[in-house]
Amino acid sequence: MSAITLKDIRKSYAGGPQILHGVSMDIQHGEFIVIVGPSGCGKSTLLRLLAGLDPCEQGELLIDGKRANDLPPQDRDIGMIFQNYALYPHMTVLENIAFGLELRKVPKVERLKRARSVAETLQLTSYLDRKPGALSGGQRQRVAMGRAMARDCSTFLMDEPLSNLDNALRVAMRTEIKDLHRQLGATIIYVTHDQTEALSLADRVAVMKDGHLQQFDTPDMIYDQPVNRFVAGFLGSPAMNFVPADCIDDWGGERDIDVGFRPEALSLNRSPVRGPSITARVVLTEMTGATFIVHCESEAGRLSAVVTRGEELPHEGDTIWLSLDPSQALCFDAISGVRLDLPVMHHSQMPKTHVKETA
Amino acid sequence: MKPENPFLAVLALAAGLLFLSPVLYSIWMSFQTADAYYTGNIEFTFRNYEMAIGQYNFARYLVNSVIVSGLVTLIGLAVATCAAFAFARYTFAGSNLLFGAVVATLMIPSHITLIPNYLTLAKAGLLDTYAGLVLPAVSNGFAAFFLRQYIRGIPRALDEAAYMDGASPLKVLWRVIIPLSKPAILSMGLYIFISEWNNYIWPLVAIGREDLYTLQIGLARLYRVNPGEDIIDWPLVMAASTITILPVLVGFILVERHLIRGMMMGAVK
Ligand SMILES: Nc1ncnc2c1ncn2[C@@H]1O[C@H](COP(=O)(O)OP(=O)(O)O)[C@@H](O)[C@H]1O
Ligand SMILES: [Mg+2]
Repeated sequence: MSAITLKDIRKSYAGGPQILHGVSMDIQHGEFIVIVGPSGCGKSTLLRLLAGLDPCEQGELLIDGKRANDLPPQDRDIGMIFQNYALYPHMTVLENIAFGLELRKVPKVERLKRARSVAETLQLTSYLDRKPGALSGGQRQRVAMGRAMARDCSTFLMDEPLSNLDNALRVAMRTEIKDLHRQLGATIIYVTHDQTEALSLADRVAVMKDGHLQQFDTPDMIYDQPVNRFVAGFLGSPAMNFVPADCIDDWGGERDIDVGFRPEALSLNRSPVRGPSITARVVLTEMTGATFIVHCESEAGRLSAVVTRGEELPHEGDTIWLSLDPSQALCFDAISGVRLDLPVMHHSQMPKTHVKETA
Repeated sequence: MKPENPFLAVLALAAGLLFLSPVLYSIWMSFQTADAYYTGNIEFTFRNYEMAIGQYNFARYLVNSVIVSGLVTLIGLAVATCAAFAFARYTFAGSNLLFGAVVATLMIPSHITLIPNYLTLAKAGLLDTYAGLVLPAVSNGFAAFFLRQYIRGIPRALDEAAYMDGASPLKVLWRVIIPLSKPAILSMGLYIFISEWNNYIWPLVAIGREDLYTLQIGLARLYRVNPGEDIIDWPLVMAASTITILPVLVGFILVERHLIRGMMMGAVK
């Protein structure tokens, strides 16, 4: 049986536009689901419906196979970690963690024992008597996790839990959350606008845009076979390049098709090459650590390519030839953005329609 | 911390003395004999306090005032806090209209409601009872308004966190909202208590029995101690006034320490 099933969930706030336009998902027990999408696309709204904090009037929400649209939050066996943590400022760390147990009438000795053991897992033991006001951001984040974990829920909802942390802490906590998921075996539904977080954490990723679910699949599938241009462009960093097919030399020049290729799939050449390629001028090179991103300007617009350190870097203003491997390219309908399953055509099989002079 | 500006310190001291001087003078006077007061001599005595507490029954009035003001404050705060929570957190059909009505009651002078209240209580048989003193004062539109504004400043995410933790609305109110509103509730309580302590007109109208007099009624009565004589025993009046002021002063000093700011620190972010 699925842990959580969403059937055609729609939502609009009173007097406002529609926020969710029919979202359907089927989530299994113990899965780590990441909902990702740009700010304002309705991720938090969806999570609040799951939590029971906002009424779910249109569509059907099933928890463990039972209709849960009208179930109040306290009866859902769901723990939530809020983006701003929402710790009780008048309670100590220990009281914050134990509060949910107290409300559920767990005897005092038992609940303190459990709260302490959760605090130990999260390395909060030395702060038990502090109030949230006297904690750092990372510590508050842990308390927020502890508060949800103490109750031993079957499902956890997390709304951008790491977005208020600095980068190093965020990366560290990401690993810890993944570890916790393995230990707890609980279902986790995790909201983020950060595609790296999505790909690194999820068993399955749900990509949303403007209240529509675009694709719900494993990170591999999302990355390798995005259903449309939005998904392709949203996941992966630096973002995928899109070029109208007729701007690529030696390609085939199909009309109304955009070709997408990830920056890693491009190779830089100092002189014209055989095979599909694009002529471009280097605008900027940017170091990211192990690699450089080369930003170029071409007839088809801005493009970026990745160069490993150690390779020779082009200079600003240089003209380069970017060659691409057709087997790594994706084709999208230029108008609807839908990915097309075109047979990969090798350039040698195609009649040359035109030859561009290389400037 | 900025260094104290000596000029401001002197100014504050002067203002403090100015406000305090009548109080100090009346306390001083309350320890003088009447004869000494009228002849301009100085003669120290406890007689005025003995008379006020014994002969003039001020111990009883003090108990009455404490009971009435205490009940009005407790019940008034309870009612206002519940109303404030509802108005701050729930929208329902007509909620804005209802809140408008609550605010509108602030614009009605209490004197206008004096006679209707009197008639209502008379019908209910509550004149000359503690209930008659307490009930009309427990609905306090200003307190509801003030606390609602305060509660609106508490992040709603805290309520939601408590709901997720398994709380009912009443639990949220009791365990989250009230503890976090403590400074506002205490300030409001102090304000209600003092207003009720100083209330004169309603006890005057609603109470005829001497054993239910509050301090203010008792105090006013001292001016007519000796009908026909136009000499008022001022040292006695001052002793009674001191008895009237002192509990409020002590109460204020006790509560004031709890009006801590910065209760919201660390809630979100
Ligand atoms: N309580 C509300 N009332 C009206 N509109 C809201 C409310 N909450 C969110 N919205 C709107 O819903 C849209 C989606 O918001 P949200 O779910 O918070 O986005 P996300 O979490 O993906 O950034 C936004 O356009 C936002 O303005
Ligand atoms: Mg959000």
